[in-house]
Amino acid sequence: MIRLEHVSKSYRTSTRPALDDVTVEVEKGEFAFLIGPSGSGKSTLLRLLLREELPSKGDVYVADLNVSKLSQRRIPQLRQRVGCVFQDFRLLGNKTVSENVAFALEVIGKPRHTIRKVVPEVLELVGLEGKADRMPHELSGGEQQRVAIARAFVNRPLVLLADEPTGNLDRDISHEIMLLLERINRTGTTVLMATHDHAIVDSMRRRVVELHLGQVVRDESRGVYGVGR
Amino acid sequence: MRASFVFGEVATGLRRNVTMTVAMILTTAISLGLLGGGLLVVRTIDRMEQDYYQRVETVVYLSADISANDPNCTSSTCATLRGQLESTPGVQSVIFESRQAAFARFQRIFQGQPELLQLARPEALPASLRVQLADPARFPSIAKAFTGRPGVDRVTDQGEYLRQLFRALNGLRNATFVVALIQALAALLLISNTIQLSAFTRRTEVGVMRLTGASRWYTQLPFLLEAVVAGVVGAVLAIVGLVIGKVAFVDRVLAGVFEAAIVPRLGYADIFSVAPILIVVGAVVAALTGYLTLRLYVRI
Ligand SMILES: Nc1ncnc2c1ncn2[C@@H]1O[C@H](COP(=O)(O)OP(=O)(O)OP(=O)(O)O)[C@@H](O)[C@H]1O
Ligand SMILES: [Mg+2]
Repeated sequence: MIRLEHVSKSYRTSTRPALDDVTVEVEKGEFAFLIGPSGSGKSTLLRLLLREELPSKGDVYVADLNVSKLSQRRIPQLRQRVGCVFQDFRLLGNKTVSENVAFALEVIGKPRHTIRKVVPEVLELVGLEGKADRMPHELSGGEQQRVAIARAFVNRPLVLLADEPTGNLDRDISHEIMLLLERINRTGTTVLMATHDHAIVDSMRRRVVELHLGQVVRDESRGVYGVGR
Repeated sequence: MRASFVFGEVATGLRRNVTMTVAMILTTAISLGLLGGGLLVVRTIDRMEQDYYQRVETVVYLSADISANDPNCTSSTCATLRGQLESTPGVQSVIFESRQAAFARFQRIFQGQPELLQLARPEALPASLRVQLADPARFPSIAKAFTGRPGVDRVTDQGEYLRQLFRALNGLRNATFVVALIQALAALLLISNTIQLSAFTRRTEVGVMRLTGASRWYTQLPFLLEAVVAGVVGAVLAIVGLVIGKVAFVDRVLAGVFEAAIVPRLGYADIFSVAPILIVVGAVVAALTGYLTLRLYVRI
């Protein structure tokens, strides 16, 4: 579902490559953590998968698309198959919860009756059924992240990318978000999550891909965050 | 693509930066208003040129003696002049206008100004031979041949006045276009700025749109439409401005000139025939500005 082949990425303004000859594959339906210290290249890797950046070397494949060769015009096809959530939620402050979720469908031209049907469904899935008409500022951080996840998932992407989704949340709330991502993973969606959070990685015992200075230094199928690093 | 959704986004965008939106619309309106004014001057000039050069006459004014004593051009001096003019090559027709006829015409032209009429007496007006030339350029040879001849007071060419008038009108038109152009530049920069501002205030939206796989077209459309709405609203204001300008200014100040048929009357039809041009120019230029701005300054 996700494949990087000898991918390197150097930003023009920095001397050290952000990613250095990375080869990783994530199967369909898998749940994988992407860990590593700050600056190790986790966000860069996710941005390559979304075609926000182009690799300097190597090839990136996501959901049968050769991402690095994708024409400008076909980028939307990729992004409609890949949902993403971030540490900072990125909700639209002037829209209600359900409008925020509906927005993701409206901008790709989905018909109104579809939107009216699937938005409540996905809000129920993320546990926000009673809060559809709240504004984002009337929600807790955990609830806001649920809205963001609902928005990322509402178009049923094949892949869900999460860049430190629990970075702004305390432990208990983080745990709930993880349960939600697990639920989404059980629907068959491939999930790749970048994180610093030892406790979460250790408690989930899922696949762990560890980056250090842009290189893959560990890839374990039921890993922990690791000690001493 | 859902129209209601797109228009909702456009309305939000315009409302969010009200002051910029108003500035953008007003500048656009002034620019387009000036363009429209220039176009109306052009139309007026064209129409004047058409019917003026047809009506242009070379006038041979006759001496005071003939003016006073020969109301039918029967004296030998007058009849000879007339005959010679008629047989000059390039002359289409020659018409005698007596002092009485000249006075009657004067009364007709200035019937709107009775105070002028009270002052005027027929004795002030000379009789004349009015010569229609096939080619107005032949005037100098006629003037040369007849100036100073017995019974001739002077030979004038209305065409010369006309050329001066048209030079002045063309200057007016050019000045209007130059100001319109400068104003248009200001309008373009404002439109461009407003779009950048709008894109900045909506960076979260745009980011979400990009990442959820909205097409470039769909992402840009609200911004382009904002610009186009400003262009069209500006054009409509400009048209309203032209109508008000006609009623409140042109019709009053130039009433006498219209009355005398010196300048053709400016009708509503004229304004409404330049209106579509203004709307199209407003919309297209705004859209192009928007498109280029998005290309150059905004990552979408
Ligand atoms: N847009 C950019 N321009 C230049 N250098 C960048 C850019 N983005 C990231 N980098 C550099 O690339 C390296 C990897 O950054 P990246 O954001 O991928 O790290 P990260 O693992 O996500 O870190 P964190 O855990 O702090 O989010 C860093 O050295 C960073 O300084
Ligand atoms: Mg990061």
